[in-house]
Amino acid sequence: MSGPEDTDLPGGWEAAAAEYVLGLLPEDELRAFEARLSQDRDLQQDVEAWSEYFAALTDPVEAVAPPPQLLRRIEDRLFGRKRPSVWQQILPYLLGAVAAAAIAWAAMFSGLLDFRNKPDLWADLETPSRGLVLLAHYAPESQTFMMQRDAGDYPAGRSLEIWMIPEEGDTPISLGLVAEDGLTQIPMPQQLAEAMDGAAIAISEEEPGGSPTGVAQGPILSIAQMAPRDE
Amino acid sequence: MTTPQAEIEDLIARTAMGDRAAFRLLYDRTAAKLFGVCLRVLNDRGLAEEALQDVYCKIWARAGQYRVNGFSPMTWLITLARNAAIDRRRRRDAGARARVAPIDAAELVADPAPGPAQQAESRSEAQALMSCMSELPPERAEMVRRAYLEGATYAELSDATGVKLNTVRTWLRRSLMQLRECLSR
Repeated sequence: MSGPEDTDLPGGWEAAAAEYVLGLLPEDELRAFEARLSQDRDLQQDVEAWSEYFAALTDPVEAVAPPPQLLRRIEDRLFGRKRPSVWQQILPYLLGAVAAAAIAWAAMFSGLLDFRNKPDLWADLETPSRGLVLLAHYAPESQTFMMQRDAGDYPAGRSLEIWMIPEEGDTPISLGLVAEDGLTQIPMPQQLAEAMDGAAIAISEEEPGGSPTGVAQGPILSIAQMAPRDE
Repeated sequence: MTTPQAEIEDLIARTAMGDRAAFRLLYDRTAAKLFGVCLRVLNDRGLAEEALQDVYCKIWARAGQYRVNGFSPMTWLITLARNAAIDRRRRRDAGARARVAPIDAAELVADPAPGPAQQAESRSEAQALMSCMSELPPERAEMVRRAYLEGATYAELSDATGVKLNTVRTWLRRSLMQLRECLSR
Protein backbone atom coordinates (compact mmCIF):
# COMPACT_ATOMS: atom_id res chain seq x y z
CA MET A 1 0.00 0.00 0.00
CA SER A 2 1.18 3.45 -0.77
CA GLY A 3 -1.35 5.46 1.18
CA PRO A 4 -0.18 8.62 2.89
CA GLU A 5 -0.32 6.91 6.28
CA ASP A 6 2.76 4.84 5.33
CA THR A 7 4.96 7.80 4.58
CA ASP A 8 6.75 10.31 6.75
CA LEU A 9 4.66 13.14 5.34
CA PRO A 10 2.79 15.20 7.89
CA GLY A 11 -0.98 15.38 7.99
CA GLY A 12 -2.03 11.86 6.94
CA TRP A 13 -5.32 11.42 5.09
CA GLU A 14 -6.56 14.85 6.17
CA ALA A 15 -3.73 16.63 4.37
CA ALA A 16 -4.17 14.22 1.45
CA ALA A 17 -7.82 15.36 1.16
CA ALA A 18 -6.60 18.94 0.61
CA GLU A 19 -3.94 17.78 -1.83
CA TYR A 20 -6.62 15.80 -3.66
CA VAL A 21 -8.80 18.89 -4.13
CA LEU A 22 -5.76 20.93 -5.22
CA GLY A 23 -4.84 18.19 -7.72
CA LEU A 24 -1.44 17.63 -6.12
CA LEU A 25 -1.57 13.92 -5.28
CA PRO A 26 0.91 11.77 -7.22
CA GLU A 27 -0.81 9.13 -9.36
CA ASP A 28 -0.17 6.08 -7.19
CA GLU A 29 -1.39 7.87 -4.08
CA LEU A 30 -4.36 9.21 -6.01
CA ARG A 31 -5.64 5.69 -6.63
CA ALA A 32 -5.20 4.68 -2.99
CA PHE A 33 -6.90 7.89 -1.91
CA GLU A 34 -9.89 7.44 -4.20
CA ALA A 35 -10.31 3.83 -3.08
CA ARG A 36 -10.51 5.00 0.51
CA LEU A 37 -12.63 8.03 -0.34
CA SER A 38 -15.37 5.82 -1.76
CA GLN A 39 -15.89 4.22 1.67
CA ASP A 40 -14.88 6.87 4.17
CA ARG A 41 -17.68 9.34 4.94
CA ASP A 42 -15.40 11.59 7.05
CA LEU A 43 -12.94 11.84 4.20
CA GLN A 44 -15.78 12.68 1.79
CA GLN A 45 -16.82 15.51 4.11
CA ASP A 46 -13.24 16.76 4.21
CA VAL A 47 -13.10 16.78 0.42
CA GLU A 48 -16.44 18.62 0.24
CA ALA A 49 -15.28 21.21 2.75
CA TRP A 50 -11.95 21.79 0.99
CA SER A 51 -13.76 22.09 -2.34
CA GLU A 52 -15.98 24.77 -0.86
CA TYR A 53 -13.13 26.70 0.73
CA PHE A 54 -10.77 26.53 -2.23
CA ALA A 55 -13.56 27.50 -4.63
CA ALA A 56 -13.60 30.76 -2.66
CA LEU A 57 -10.15 31.44 -4.16
CA THR A 58 -12.02 32.23 -7.37
CA ASP A 59 -14.11 34.95 -5.70
CA PRO A 60 -11.73 37.71 -6.86
CA VAL A 61 -11.71 36.21 -10.39
CA GLU A 62 -13.73 38.53 -12.58
CA ALA A 63 -16.62 37.28 -14.66
CA VAL A 64 -15.95 37.59 -18.39
CA ALA A 65 -18.76 37.22 -20.92
CA PRO A 66 -17.90 34.35 -23.29
CA PRO A 67 -18.35 34.98 -27.05
CA PRO A 68 -22.03 34.77 -28.03
CA GLN A 69 -21.61 31.81 -30.41
CA LEU A 70 -20.24 29.58 -27.65
CA LEU A 71 -23.63 28.47 -26.33
CA ARG A 72 -24.64 27.37 -29.84
CA ARG A 73 -21.42 25.38 -30.18
CA ILE A 74 -22.13 23.68 -26.87
CA GLU A 75 -25.72 22.91 -27.88
CA ASP A 76 -24.51 21.56 -31.23
CA ARG A 77 -22.06 19.34 -29.43
CA LEU A 78 -24.75 18.11 -27.05
CA PHE A 79 -27.88 17.97 -29.17
CA GLY A 80 -26.72 18.67 -32.72
CA ARG A 81 -26.53 15.48 -34.68
CA LYS A 82 -28.14 13.33 -32.03
CA ARG A 83 -31.18 11.39 -33.22
CA PRO A 84 -34.09 11.48 -30.83
CA SER A 85 -33.55 8.80 -28.25
CA VAL A 86 -35.71 5.73 -28.01
CA TRP A 87 -37.38 7.33 -25.01
CA GLN A 88 -38.33 10.42 -26.92
CA GLN A 89 -39.77 8.26 -29.67
CA ILE A 90 -41.92 6.20 -27.35
CA LEU A 91 -42.84 9.10 -25.11
CA PRO A 92 -45.99 10.08 -27.05
CA TYR A 93 -47.32 6.58 -26.59
CA LEU A 94 -46.73 6.77 -22.87
CA LEU A 95 -48.25 10.16 -22.21
CA GLY A 96 -51.69 10.39 -20.74
CA ALA A 97 -52.22 6.78 -19.94
CA VAL A 98 -48.92 5.91 -18.36
CA ALA A 99 -50.31 3.80 -15.58
CA ALA A 100 -52.79 1.93 -17.77
CA ALA A 101 -50.18 1.31 -20.43
CA ALA A 102 -47.70 0.23 -17.81
CA ILE A 103 -50.07 -2.36 -16.40
CA ALA A 104 -50.95 -3.63 -19.85
CA TRP A 105 -47.32 -3.90 -20.90
CA ALA A 106 -46.36 -5.54 -17.66
CA ALA A 107 -49.11 -8.11 -18.14
CA MET A 108 -48.02 -8.66 -21.72
CA PHE A 109 -44.35 -9.02 -21.00
CA SER A 110 -44.26 -10.47 -17.52
CA GLY A 111 -42.54 -13.79 -17.38
CA LEU A 112 -40.95 -13.43 -20.80
CA LEU A 113 -37.57 -12.54 -19.40
CA ASP A 114 -35.72 -13.94 -16.46
CA PHE A 115 -34.98 -11.21 -13.95
CA ARG A 116 -34.00 -13.47 -11.10
CA ASN A 117 -30.29 -12.73 -11.36
CA LYS A 118 -30.72 -9.00 -11.40
CA PRO A 119 -30.17 -7.16 -8.13
CA ASP A 120 -32.82 -5.01 -6.49
CA LEU A 121 -32.19 -1.30 -6.97
CA TRP A 122 -32.67 1.48 -4.47
CA ALA A 123 -32.47 5.24 -4.20
CA ASP A 124 -32.86 7.66 -1.31
CA LEU A 125 -34.78 10.77 -2.31
CA GLU A 126 -34.38 13.44 0.30
CA THR A 127 -35.58 17.02 0.42
CA PRO A 128 -33.87 18.44 3.51
CA SER A 129 -35.71 21.78 3.34
CA ARG A 130 -39.03 19.96 3.81
CA GLY A 131 -37.87 17.04 5.92
CA LEU A 132 -39.19 14.81 3.14
CA VAL A 133 -37.54 11.39 2.83
CA LEU A 134 -38.66 8.94 0.18
CA LEU A 135 -37.20 5.53 -0.56
CA ALA A 136 -37.39 4.21 -4.11
CA HIS A 137 -37.06 0.47 -4.65
CA TYR A 138 -37.18 -1.53 -7.83
CA ALA A 139 -37.70 -5.29 -7.60
CA PRO A 140 -36.71 -6.93 -10.89
CA GLU A 141 -38.35 -10.22 -9.96
CA SER A 142 -41.83 -8.72 -9.92
CA GLN A 143 -40.86 -5.88 -12.27
CA THR A 144 -42.36 -3.50 -9.73
CA PHE A 145 -41.24 -0.03 -8.84
CA MET A 146 -42.05 0.96 -5.26
CA MET A 147 -41.89 4.18 -3.35
CA GLN A 148 -42.25 4.65 0.35
CA ARG A 149 -42.46 7.87 2.32
CA ASP A 150 -40.24 7.49 5.37
CA ALA A 151 -40.51 11.03 6.72
CA GLY A 152 -42.12 14.37 5.97
CA ASP A 153 -45.65 15.40 5.02
CA TYR A 154 -47.36 14.97 1.69
CA PRO A 155 -47.88 18.53 0.37
CA ALA A 156 -51.50 19.53 0.99
CA GLY A 157 -53.55 19.88 -2.18
CA ARG A 158 -50.62 18.91 -4.43
CA SER A 159 -49.31 15.71 -5.98
CA LEU A 160 -45.80 14.27 -5.93
CA GLU A 161 -44.92 12.90 -9.35
CA ILE A 162 -42.26 10.26 -10.02
CA TRP A 163 -40.00 10.66 -13.06
CA MET A 164 -37.55 8.21 -14.51
CA ILE A 165 -34.52 9.44 -16.46
CA PRO A 166 -33.21 6.31 -18.17
CA GLU A 167 -29.86 7.73 -19.20
CA GLU A 168 -28.02 10.96 -18.82
CA GLY A 169 -29.63 13.55 -21.01
CA ASP A 170 -32.72 11.48 -21.86
CA THR A 171 -36.17 12.95 -21.60
CA PRO A 172 -37.76 12.10 -18.26
CA ILE A 173 -40.69 9.71 -18.29
CA SER A 174 -43.50 10.00 -15.78
CA LEU A 175 -43.99 6.81 -13.81
CA GLY A 176 -47.00 8.08 -11.90
CA LEU A 177 -47.75 9.69 -8.57
CA VAL A 178 -46.50 8.97 -5.08
CA ALA A 179 -49.46 7.56 -3.13
CA GLU A 180 -50.58 9.87 -0.33
CA ASP A 181 -50.68 6.95 2.09
CA GLY A 182 -48.89 3.66 2.25
CA LEU A 183 -46.61 2.04 -0.29
CA THR A 184 -46.71 3.16 -3.91
CA GLN A 185 -46.45 0.23 -6.31
CA ILE A 186 -46.06 0.68 -10.04
CA PRO A 187 -45.68 -2.25 -12.44
CA MET A 188 -42.99 -1.47 -14.99
CA PRO A 189 -43.24 -2.11 -18.72
CA GLN A 190 -40.45 -4.23 -20.17
CA GLN A 191 -38.58 -1.44 -21.95
CA LEU A 192 -38.48 0.74 -18.88
CA ALA A 193 -37.64 -2.18 -16.60
CA GLU A 194 -34.55 -2.94 -18.67
CA ALA A 195 -33.41 0.66 -18.42
CA MET A 196 -33.89 0.90 -14.66
CA ASP A 197 -30.30 -0.11 -13.95
CA GLY A 198 -28.38 3.16 -13.98
CA ALA A 199 -31.48 5.31 -14.32
CA ALA A 200 -32.12 8.30 -12.11
CA ILE A 201 -35.41 8.89 -10.33
CA ALA A 202 -36.72 12.38 -9.68
CA ILE A 203 -39.63 13.70 -7.67
CA SER A 204 -41.47 16.88 -8.60
CA GLU A 205 -44.36 18.64 -6.94
CA GLU A 206 -47.29 19.07 -9.30
CA GLU A 207 -50.90 20.14 -9.38
CA PRO A 208 -53.32 17.48 -8.08
CA GLY A 209 -53.26 14.49 -10.43
CA GLY A 210 -49.82 15.29 -11.79
CA SER A 211 -48.41 17.42 -14.58
CA PRO A 212 -50.95 17.68 -17.40
CA THR A 213 -48.26 18.13 -20.04
CA GLY A 214 -46.02 15.12 -19.53
CA VAL A 215 -43.22 17.47 -18.55
CA ALA A 216 -42.46 18.41 -14.95
CA GLN A 217 -44.03 21.79 -14.15
CA GLY A 218 -43.44 22.19 -10.44
CA PRO A 219 -40.22 22.32 -8.43
CA ILE A 220 -37.94 19.28 -8.58
CA LEU A 221 -37.68 18.12 -4.98
CA SER A 222 -34.92 15.56 -5.38
CA ILE A 223 -33.06 13.34 -7.79
CA ALA A 224 -31.11 10.16 -7.10
CA GLN A 225 -29.50 7.37 -9.03
CA MET A 226 -30.95 3.85 -8.73
CA ALA A 227 -28.24 1.48 -7.50
CA PRO A 228 -27.90 -1.94 -5.85
CA ARG A 229 -27.26 -2.10 -2.10
CA ASP A 230 -24.74 -4.29 -0.39
CA GLU A 231 -26.91 -6.05 2.15
CA MET B 1 -37.31 31.32 -6.39
CA THR B 2 -36.23 33.10 -3.26
CA THR B 3 -32.43 33.17 -3.46
CA PRO B 4 -29.95 32.98 -6.34
CA GLN B 5 -28.60 29.81 -4.71
CA ALA B 6 -32.04 28.15 -4.78
CA GLU B 7 -32.52 29.29 -8.36
CA ILE B 8 -29.22 27.74 -9.50
CA GLU B 9 -30.05 24.53 -7.62
CA ASP B 10 -33.42 24.37 -9.34
CA LEU B 11 -31.83 24.97 -12.75
CA ILE B 12 -29.32 22.18 -12.13
CA ALA B 13 -32.15 19.84 -11.11
CA ARG B 14 -34.15 20.72 -14.23
CA THR B 15 -31.05 20.26 -16.38
CA ALA B 16 -30.73 16.79 -14.90
CA MET B 17 -34.29 16.19 -16.08
CA GLY B 18 -33.22 16.98 -19.63
CA ASP B 19 -34.81 20.45 -19.67
CA ARG B 20 -32.90 22.32 -22.38
CA ALA B 21 -34.49 25.68 -21.59
CA ALA B 22 -33.30 25.37 -17.99
CA PHE B 23 -29.83 24.42 -19.24
CA ARG B 24 -29.74 27.55 -21.36
CA LEU B 25 -30.85 29.65 -18.40
CA LEU B 26 -28.19 28.02 -16.23
CA TYR B 27 -25.64 28.96 -18.90
CA ASP B 28 -26.91 32.55 -18.94
CA ARG B 29 -26.59 32.82 -15.17
CA THR B 30 -23.19 31.16 -14.74
CA ALA B 31 -21.14 31.15 -17.97
CA ALA B 32 -19.41 34.50 -17.39
CA LYS B 33 -18.10 33.47 -13.97
CA LEU B 34 -17.00 30.04 -15.21
CA PHE B 35 -15.38 31.59 -18.29
CA GLY B 36 -13.49 33.92 -15.95
CA VAL B 37 -12.25 30.90 -14.01
CA CYS B 38 -11.16 29.09 -17.22
CA LEU B 39 -9.33 32.24 -18.37
CA ARG B 40 -7.61 32.58 -15.01
CA VAL B 41 -6.34 28.98 -15.17
CA LEU B 42 -5.40 28.91 -18.85
CA ASN B 43 -4.54 32.53 -19.62
CA ASP B 44 -5.46 31.81 -23.24
CA ARG B 45 -8.81 32.78 -24.76
CA GLY B 46 -9.02 30.03 -27.36
CA LEU B 47 -8.24 27.30 -24.86
CA ALA B 48 -10.57 28.84 -22.29
CA GLU B 49 -13.41 28.75 -24.84
CA GLU B 50 -12.75 25.07 -25.46
CA ALA B 51 -12.57 24.40 -21.74
CA LEU B 52 -15.89 26.20 -21.22
CA GLN B 53 -17.50 23.91 -23.80
CA ASP B 54 -16.13 20.91 -21.89
CA VAL B 55 -17.56 22.37 -18.70
CA TYR B 56 -21.13 22.74 -19.96
CA CYS B 57 -21.09 19.33 -21.64
CA LYS B 58 -20.09 17.91 -18.26
CA ILE B 59 -22.77 19.92 -16.49
CA TRP B 60 -25.39 18.53 -18.88
CA ALA B 61 -24.18 14.97 -18.41
CA ARG B 62 -23.57 15.09 -14.68
CA ALA B 63 -26.33 17.36 -13.40
CA GLY B 64 -28.07 14.29 -12.00
CA GLN B 65 -25.07 13.65 -9.78
CA TYR B 66 -25.24 17.05 -8.14
CA ARG B 67 -26.39 16.73 -4.56
CA VAL B 68 -27.64 19.51 -2.41
CA ASN B 69 -25.17 19.25 0.47
CA GLY B 70 -25.60 22.59 2.16
CA PHE B 71 -22.75 24.09 0.18
CA SER B 72 -23.15 26.57 -2.62
CA PRO B 73 -24.16 25.09 -6.00
CA MET B 74 -21.64 27.55 -7.48
CA THR B 75 -18.92 25.52 -5.78
CA TRP B 76 -19.94 22.47 -7.77
CA LEU B 77 -19.90 24.47 -11.01
CA ILE B 78 -16.64 26.28 -10.22
CA THR B 79 -14.95 22.97 -9.31
CA LEU B 80 -16.06 21.46 -12.65
CA ALA B 81 -14.76 24.54 -14.50
CA ARG B 82 -11.48 24.68 -12.63
CA ASN B 83 -10.84 20.95 -13.18
CA ALA B 84 -11.78 21.08 -16.87
CA ALA B 85 -9.46 24.05 -17.40
CA ILE B 86 -6.62 22.32 -15.58
CA ASP B 87 -7.13 19.19 -17.72
CA ARG B 88 -6.73 21.38 -20.82
CA ARG B 89 -3.72 23.10 -19.32
CA ARG B 90 -1.96 19.86 -18.47
CA ARG B 91 -2.70 18.45 -21.91
CA ARG B 92 -1.22 21.58 -23.48
CA ASP B 93 1.89 21.32 -21.35
CA ALA B 94 1.89 17.55 -22.08
CA GLY B 95 4.26 16.39 -19.41
CA ALA B 96 6.70 19.22 -19.83
CA ARG B 97 6.90 21.42 -16.78
CA ALA B 98 5.25 24.72 -17.44
CA ARG B 99 7.60 27.62 -17.09
CA VAL B 100 6.67 29.16 -13.79
CA ALA B 101 7.18 32.56 -12.34
CA PRO B 102 9.40 32.32 -9.28
CA ILE B 103 7.81 32.56 -5.86
CA ASP B 104 9.94 34.92 -3.86
CA ALA B 105 8.95 35.47 -0.26
CA ALA B 106 10.46 38.93 -0.24
CA GLU B 107 8.24 40.08 -3.12
CA LEU B 108 5.01 38.77 -1.72
CA VAL B 109 3.00 41.29 0.14
CA ALA B 110 0.35 40.06 2.47
CA ASP B 111 -3.12 40.51 0.99
CA PRO B 112 -4.66 43.79 2.04
CA ALA B 113 -7.65 43.34 4.30
CA PRO B 114 -10.81 43.28 2.22
CA GLY B 115 -12.78 46.54 2.32
CA PRO B 116 -16.27 46.61 3.82
CA ALA B 117 -18.05 46.41 0.46
CA GLN B 118 -15.94 43.44 -0.56
CA GLN B 119 -16.58 41.81 2.78
CA ALA B 120 -20.30 42.22 2.51
CA GLU B 121 -20.21 40.67 -0.93
CA SER B 122 -18.09 37.65 -0.29
CA ARG B 123 -19.33 34.44 1.23
CA SER B 124 -18.49 33.52 4.78
CA GLU B 125 -16.28 30.67 3.51
CA ALA B 126 -14.30 33.17 1.48
CA GLN B 127 -13.80 35.41 4.49
CA ALA B 128 -12.70 32.50 6.66
CA LEU B 129 -10.30 31.27 4.00
CA MET B 130 -8.77 34.68 3.36
CA SER B 131 -8.23 35.28 7.05
CA CYS B 132 -6.69 31.82 7.59
CA MET B 133 -4.51 32.10 4.46
CA SER B 134 -3.11 35.35 5.82
CA GLU B 135 -1.86 33.43 8.87
CA LEU B 136 0.34 31.25 6.62
CA PRO B 137 3.82 32.34 5.54
CA PRO B 138 3.11 34.33 2.33
CA GLU B 139 5.08 32.01 0.03
CA ARG B 140 3.08 29.02 1.22
CA ALA B 141 -0.25 30.78 0.77
CA GLU B 142 0.99 31.61 -2.74
CA MET B 143 1.71 27.91 -3.38
CA VAL B 144 -1.85 26.97 -2.42
CA ARG B 145 -3.18 29.70 -4.71
CA ARG B 146 -0.94 28.59 -7.61
CA ALA B 147 -1.97 24.96 -7.17
CA TYR B 148 -5.68 25.78 -7.19
CA LEU B 149 -5.85 28.63 -9.68
CA GLU B 150 -3.10 27.55 -12.09
CA GLY B 151 -2.96 23.81 -11.53
CA ALA B 152 0.69 24.01 -10.50
CA THR B 153 2.19 20.61 -9.65
CA TYR B 154 4.69 19.93 -6.87
CA ALA B 155 7.44 19.81 -9.52
CA GLU B 156 6.44 23.28 -10.71
CA LEU B 157 6.20 24.60 -7.18
CA SER B 158 9.65 23.18 -6.55
CA ASP B 159 10.96 25.04 -9.62
CA ALA B 160 9.21 28.22 -8.58
CA THR B 161 10.71 28.21 -5.09
CA GLY B 162 14.05 26.55 -5.76
CA VAL B 163 13.29 24.12 -2.94
CA LYS B 164 13.51 20.33 -3.30
CA LEU B 165 10.26 18.65 -4.23
CA ASN B 166 9.94 16.56 -1.07
CA THR B 167 10.61 19.56 1.10
CA VAL B 168 8.03 21.61 -0.76
CA ARG B 169 5.52 18.86 -0.21
CA THR B 170 6.27 18.55 3.49
CA TRP B 171 5.94 22.31 3.91
CA LEU B 172 2.73 22.51 1.99
CA ARG B 173 1.10 19.63 3.85
CA ARG B 174 1.99 21.26 7.15
CA SER B 175 0.48 24.50 5.90
CA LEU B 176 -2.67 22.69 4.77
CA MET B 177 -3.06 21.18 8.23
CA GLN B 178 -2.55 24.60 9.76
CA LEU B 179 -5.20 25.94 7.41
CA ARG B 180 -7.59 23.14 8.36
CA GLU B 181 -7.06 23.81 12.01
CA CYS B 182 -7.67 27.53 11.54
CA LEU B 183 -10.79 26.94 9.42
CA SER B 184 -12.34 24.61 11.99
CA ARG B 185 -11.94 27.16 14.77
